[in-house]
Amino acid sequence: MRYGGGNRSRLLLIILIVSSLFLITLDLRGVQVLDGLRTGSQTVLSPFQRAGNIVATPFKNFFSDITHLGRTRNQLEQLRAENFNLRTKLINRKNADAQLKQYKSMLDLAGTADYKILSAKVISQGSSQSFSQTLTIDAGINSGVRRNMTVICDSGLAGVIKEVYPNSALILLASDPSFRIGVRIAGTQQIGILSGQGSNKAVLQLIDNQTTLRVGDVLLARGSQQNRPFVPGVPVGSVLSVDNSAGAVAQSASVKFYTNFSALGVVAVVVGAPKTDPRDALVPAKPSPRPVPTITILVTPSPSPTATK
Amino acid sequence: MITRQLTFSTLIFLVLYTLQESLVNQIRLPGGGFSFFIIFTLVWSALSTPEVGAIAGFGAGFLTDLSPSSSGPVGQWTLIMILTCFGIAFLGFGDDKSRGNPITIVFLVVGGVFVSETAFLLTGVLLGVNLGSFGQILIILIGTSMWTLLVTPFTLPIFSRLHAITFDTSSRI
Repeated sequence: MRYGGGNRSRLLLIILIVSSLFLITLDLRGVQVLDGLRTGSQTVLSPFQRAGNIVATPFKNFFSDITHLGRTRNQLEQLRAENFNLRTKLINRKNADAQLKQYKSMLDLAGTADYKILSAKVISQGSSQSFSQTLTIDAGINSGVRRNMTVICDSGLAGVIKEVYPNSALILLASDPSFRIGVRIAGTQQIGILSGQGSNKAVLQLIDNQTTLRVGDVLLARGSQQNRPFVPGVPVGSVLSVDNSAGAVAQSASVKFYTNFSALGVVAVVVGAPKTDPRDALVPAKPSPRPVPTITILVTPSPSPTATK
Repeated sequence: MITRQLTFSTLIFLVLYTLQESLVNQIRLPGGGFSFFIIFTLVWSALSTPEVGAIAGFGAGFLTDLSPSSSGPVGQWTLIMILTCFGIAFLGFGDDKSRGNPITIVFLVVGGVFVSETAFLLTGVLLGVNLGSFGQILIILIGTSMWTLLVTPFTLPIFSRLHAITFDTSSRI
């Protein structure tokens, strides 16, 4: 026996366990004090997260960036010293360019559907240790952000505002396992429920079993009452594969989100819903096939062929 | 003496929690990455008595619960961390061979991370928290354990030194 323990030790352990169970009970009963504590901790942390975001920007996507370098190790070794400063500048520039592109696309999306948006920068990403998918943005109550507002990005739906603090807000990403959204299929207008799966894919369950789903069908947000939490018409994703198993109560399909959740730098919170439903106005254009040039070689025979000896 | 130890410990825990939330969480690593803060708490517990381990687990779990990105109810991480830290401290306490051996501590920490993540999943299911697909959970569980195995040996000397300074112990790893 390594440690005999003792009454004091056991009593302490019991007190701590009872305290934690008490906390769980209070939280599940929705006691305001605990919400206040979380709000307070986020308020205190947000300046540090902003600073951390600045510090981490050059290397936070290191693992994804390294796959795009496309250079051999030896070449990198030779060029590393002289390229260090240039690369840092380039990454910052790339970051700015990417954010500008995202802003432009977001404005296009919001303009087409007549959404009133508030753009915000992502300042922190939630830890994966809790198996949840969240982001923190640098806009909060003071900027007009409220709970249950839709969040979009350049390619479509990003998530929904879960918690809001004075100068920051927590977004529950559409990829989170607890995320549910009512969607309709562009064109056929059939409706279903989409559930996040913790990755860039989701599961769609159709309400009506008679509907025929096709690979590539585009899904749009159906919208909620009073446009909270979802405004109508936001592109969500496209059908990747259809599950046609016999005997299933409801038809289901695997859906790929349009949004790349790991590359979200800027997002837009929809603070004002459109007066009319944009219907299928935001369906992304299908990529047009690029014409392949045909090479034609014309050969003209010479009039007097020369004989060879 | 106790006041000094408590103040030092609280300060260290708060600084590392802020570091975890503001910097470490920003870096997207494959397989879910690692929690600097949980590793620190488990190392701290492995070097302490079971009572100190349980109190450290309570504090660290409560701070983790206060993190806005935490998906479960407040108290879930607290409960898990109390039990994990107490367990780790209990296993190590009184056995100088294991407490003085860095490899044992590394494996205790990796085991602690795996157990706490699994316990979080199981209690999450009981409390009705949605956790995602089985494949994704498996990737995060294995990934987190592997990252912890990789990171702990590098951080162990620093954490051990901090523990020694706080508790005025002459031996450290």
